[in-house]
Amino acid sequence: MNRTAWHRRMLGITALMGVGALAVAGCSSSSTSASPAKPGKVPLVVYSAQGYDKAMTQAFQKATGIPVKLDDNSTGPLLTQIEASKNNPNWGLLWVDGATAFAGLDQQGLLLKGFTPTVTWDSLGTASVPADHSYVPTGVTLMAALVYNKTKVAAPPATWQQLLQPQWKGAIGMNDPSQSGPTYPFIAGMMSYLGGVPAGEQYFTKLKGNGLIIHPTNGPTLQALTSGQIKLALVQSSAGIGAVLGDSKLTVKYLDPVTLLPSAIGIDAKAPAAEQAEAKKFIDFVLSPAGQKVMQSGDPTGDSLYYPVVQDVAPLAALPPLTGVKTQSIDPYTWGTKEASINTWFDSSIVR
Amino acid sequence: MTFPATAPAPVNPRAGRGAGGWQAATRGLPAPRHLARTLFWLLLVLFILAPSACFLLLAVSPRLFAEGPQWFTLTYLRQTFTGTTAVAVVNSLWVSTAAAALGLVIGFPIAWLAARTTLPGRRLVAGGMWLVLLLPSWLPALGWQRLVQADGVMYRVGLDLPWVTHAIMGPFGVVLLLGLRCVPFTFLAITAALSGLGQEFEDAARVHGASRTAALRLILPIIAPAIWSALAIGFAESVSDFGVAATLAYNSNFSLATYQLYADIGNFPPSFPGAAAMGWLLVGAVAIPLALQARTLRGRSYAVLSGRSRQIARRRLTPGGAVAAVAGVWLFYLVALGVPGFGAVSGSLLGDYGGSFSLTLVNYHALLRSSDLLGPIERSLGYGAVTATVTVIGGFIAARLLTQRASRATRALDFMLLAAVALPSVVFGAGYIFAYNLPIMSTLGIDLYQTVMLLVIAYTASSLPTNARVLVGVVSQLQPSLKDAARTHGAGELTAWVRAVLPVVSRPIVMAYLLTFCGVFLELPLSQLLYAPNSPPLSVAIEDNLSNYHFGVGMAQSVLAVAIALAAVALVLGGYRLVAPAGWRRIGETTRG
Repeated sequence: MNRTAWHRRMLGITALMGVGALAVAGCSSSSTSASPAKPGKVPLVVYSAQGYDKAMTQAFQKATGIPVKLDDNSTGPLLTQIEASKNNPNWGLLWVDGATAFAGLDQQGLLLKGFTPTVTWDSLGTASVPADHSYVPTGVTLMAALVYNKTKVAAPPATWQQLLQPQWKGAIGMNDPSQSGPTYPFIAGMMSYLGGVPAGEQYFTKLKGNGLIIHPTNGPTLQALTSGQIKLALVQSSAGIGAVLGDSKLTVKYLDPVTLLPSAIGIDAKAPAAEQAEAKKFIDFVLSPAGQKVMQSGDPTGDSLYYPVVQDVAPLAALPPLTGVKTQSIDPYTWGTKEASINTWFDSSIVR
Repeated sequence: MTFPATAPAPVNPRAGRGAGGWQAATRGLPAPRHLARTLFWLLLVLFILAPSACFLLLAVSPRLFAEGPQWFTLTYLRQTFTGTTAVAVVNSLWVSTAAAALGLVIGFPIAWLAARTTLPGRRLVAGGMWLVLLLPSWLPALGWQRLVQADGVMYRVGLDLPWVTHAIMGPFGVVLLLGLRCVPFTFLAITAALSGLGQEFEDAARVHGASRTAALRLILPIIAPAIWSALAIGFAESVSDFGVAATLAYNSNFSLATYQLYADIGNFPPSFPGAAAMGWLLVGAVAIPLALQARTLRGRSYAVLSGRSRQIARRRLTPGGAVAAVAGVWLFYLVALGVPGFGAVSGSLLGDYGGSFSLTLVNYHALLRSSDLLGPIERSLGYGAVTATVTVIGGFIAARLLTQRASRATRALDFMLLAAVALPSVVFGAGYIFAYNLPIMSTLGIDLYQTVMLLVIAYTASSLPTNARVLVGVVSQLQPSLKDAARTHGAGELTAWVRAVLPVVSRPIVMAYLLTFCGVFLELPLSQLLYAPNSPPLSVAIEDNLSNYHFGVGMAQSVLAVAIALAAVALVLGGYRLVAPAGWRRIGETTRG
């Protein structure tokens, strides 16, 4: 090959390699193309696991001009990030389901205390607000909802104890608390309702003896229900109602008592004052009528299926009314400290 | 671009035996080369050793990173030798050993058939391997589960085979899936080695009356570095795999070490020291294949690749042999691709959590209507391209270092690279946060955490060990005379490398590039922990759908992602065919014999 041809070849190869660099240049620019901060406004870093978070951050940014950086992840990786970076945190607010995680962060001094938004709580909201106001509830789902196929199950169980009856042997499925964030509050709620950890352990051991099947998260548990592997699924209410919207043969029932699982926002105690002020504005916006509209429309078959915590906001029509349903709250500060040990027990004694 | 030094005269691999240490590795080098090698080591220390060490230190000194009260403790290490944790570690060790062996047993014949025989459809074999490699390991696991689980597809179509369910949903199934995952690594390593192995060795054996079996016995020791590389990578990849551990193994109540480690981190509050202790064991485990590899290869030279390597004549298969070979290869692809493909595609075509067999495109419609569809795809394509470009350069340098004189420095490099493969990505990701988000970094104005730059660095650091392992086979075959000849004819250092060495290694380099690209394109754990807010990569977007009740949309997105990655692979391979000179492509090619 002559020198010119060789150089041409090399040019071609260099061009091919350059495609990659250009691509990254493109995506780097896209990563920095979030609307520039206006004078006096710092970017608000939002860590969120909510299905409607992107719609909400866009609406908030549009309404206030405050630039938002969204880290949209599952709850587990978000908490791992916060714990691993707690010496030098760079998040502004955290928005996930479950009060026990917030209680754990609060006990480590990672949350700003004392912020109270100017709203009127309904009964669910009042039951979910912590005494030190270290986090703010934004909605409530229930743990666990009983989901079943009404064409196959004519007489579903009416109490938690009836799940132990032989007719449900090998027919019940639930999630693994080490993979499904909302499941620990359910286990803790059952233990609280039954009188303590030992009684709760006894109950779940009996349930295992009756053939309880554990799946990782809501999705696989519901899939096991629709495929016929199980007849009763114990999942988060929003997941169960979402499944009902996709398959009219399914229905949701609440057994007494059912545990409240608030979705909540906590503000980073070490964030700069300007970012903390913006985080408070974000919470106010979320709980405002405009914000509630975004929450209810941002993920219509998923996280939008929540029970509101502020007055004058009605739940979506798909949600079963809570009239006559007995709900309970667990003390997240008491049960949060037990989460690791109970999850470990559940993993070694029930899952295995 | 600079490369590690080669002595003017061909390197005698025995020359460095017993010589030790860093000084030996750099002694006598001209200043620019010395500087380049120092810089390379510095980068390895900063981006592989430091994050790994930061995380592993937590096991014995949690207080260093405010994760506990103890400055020094062995409690967490002791815990890994008790109870369910110990069971998980033992399971991981034997399963990974079996999987690496299975990968070799399946991958070697396929590589040989594709490279050295007239196997019908052999051009499709390599493409199929890329597809196997491209699939995240959880996808085949879910596909198999969907098929064999109670009330699964197998039972619905009338196949009442509970023994199949018991076999797949247990240790056998775990070994099978991990072993299938090892096959592409074996294929790549062996294919690269066979490409560099000219026809002259087989001819010499046959001329001297050797049977085909005897000729094979001659060839196997020559490509021993590639075989050992394949086993070492297979073991390390299996021991660090999380996709199978969290799906099939988990649902079979068969606990593996990576799942236990994940449980330690996933619990709230997370036990980073407990996870780090498990990380120590995983790192320690890779010493096993490394020790075996070192013991076997010590003191031998494998330099057979030169500009005079003869084109290979393909062996013509008999009609019966061809049928058997095609059937075997197709069986492999059916098991490795057909089942997971069925799982993913069927999952994306069902609108009701997979409860019925009614097919619908509703998930694809929802996906295409989404305003967030293109951004994550573009980002992951870009991240993959840049990471792969940087990684092949670093991987080649590392492979070159690994194949040079044995010294303490090269042995340390060898261990560090393989140990990094054994560390699960979630450990690597957490290690990056601990190392690069220290308060002192912010004080110095270095805020790398949650930037695109740190994410790409982490992708590169996590890809480089595997990449170097894949390249070490072909690099070990390079004869120093190639470059020496160019230098003798007046070429400068860079020109000599580009004109004499690059042509013979261009194909393996392209393969290594694609290996990294595919790995990064759907990488999840690092992406989840390190991505820059507002810029989610594709894997995070898919996980977002799967975890937010949009299972079908997530599966549709997975199918689309695999299709896009395949198109990118085809583009690169097509580009190589169009752009690379005919002589480059001829190296390692075959003639029909």
